[in-house]
Amino acid sequence: MTQDVDPKLLEILVCPLTKVPLRYDRAAQELISDQAGLAYPIRDGIPIMLVDEARKLEDREVRK
Amino acid sequence: MPDPCPQRIFDRRDIRRFRNRSRNDFARYDFLVQNSAQSLSDRLCDIRRQFDTAAIDGPCPFTHPSIRRSYHIGENAPCDIVADNEVLPFAGHSLNLFASILTLHTANDLPGALVQIRRSLTPDGLFLAALFGGETLFELRDAMTRAELATRGGVSPRVFPFADKQQMGSLLQRAGFALPVVDSDLITVTYRDLRALMHDLRGMGQSNAIAARDRRNPGKALFTEAERIYRKAHADEDGRLRATFEIIYLIGWAPHESQQKPLRPGSATARLADALGTNEHNVPTRRRPTQHS
Repeated sequence: MTQDVDPKLLEILVCPLTKVPLRYDRAAQELISDQAGLAYPIRDGIPIMLVDEARKLEDREVRK
Repeated sequence: MPDPCPQRIFDRRDIRRFRNRSRNDFARYDFLVQNSAQSLSDRLCDIRRQFDTAAIDGPCPFTHPSIRRSYHIGENAPCDIVADNEVLPFAGHSLNLFASILTLHTANDLPGALVQIRRSLTPDGLFLAALFGGETLFELRDAMTRAELATRGGVSPRVFPFADKQQMGSLLQRAGFALPVVDSDLITVTYRDLRALMHDLRGMGQSNAIAARDRRNPGKALFTEAERIYRKAHADEDGRLRATFEIIYLIGWAPHESQQKPLRPGSATARLADALGTNEHNVPTRRRPTQHS
């Protein structure tokens, strides 16, 4: 079961490295930073905003 | 990924590891967190202001009873996020309150962390923090240093280098906070023995995470000697070991034009002597003492 992230929280969260807004991938439960090429996981509705726990994006995943 | 902070004092992975290790049993060791969260909460009660977007940086999840009890969290369900307070994930001007409970003492770059917090606040947003100060565990530091010198002929960092209270005011100003206030509390806890103190520190998730620490097995001799020194120099009359925790409290505001500011020197329009109903006297210029070379 996936727990949705509070939309208000999504408004204030940015990528900790680049400080740009994040893209919410609801299906994958990830917050994506295209600029940093990282996907921050959301576990049990809790965004994990740690650079060393983020998944590196494949080139094709990055939206320009 | 380049290391954002080349001079690392703390191994942040270890800090997270120790914190996670202590998570399940945290309620048994949370007395300092409880105490500081309550003190911050009291300060918050003195400020007549609603904060609708707040971030609380604590050593345990926001929904943890330790934090929840102190902040009277009601209907507005809080959201937990996991973040590193050295690289904050908040948009600029997005929060009107940032409270940090006993976490900032492990920031490698404290001025940088403060700047990031200030940037995340809206103008007139409030920053509150409790962090361990320089007096913290001075007894343990003393006992370990002397014991290590005696048993191994050298010392290695075993207690965190905590920030000095005297420097916090200027650090807050340097980070761009207005109306900074710094104060502190000393809390003395007594322990049966060194083992009990170490056990408590571990339970709080505050084990030694200094990057340059001696990772070899310290051996029994070191602790036996440290305990002997500790008991001799820092024990109560009944033989219990004293451990001091200094909690520094910080308050600062993101600047806003409505805040009071000092006037420019020389811009006064009334004389102090008139206000006091007295006469003004010139201070005689003092002659320099003659110098004998």
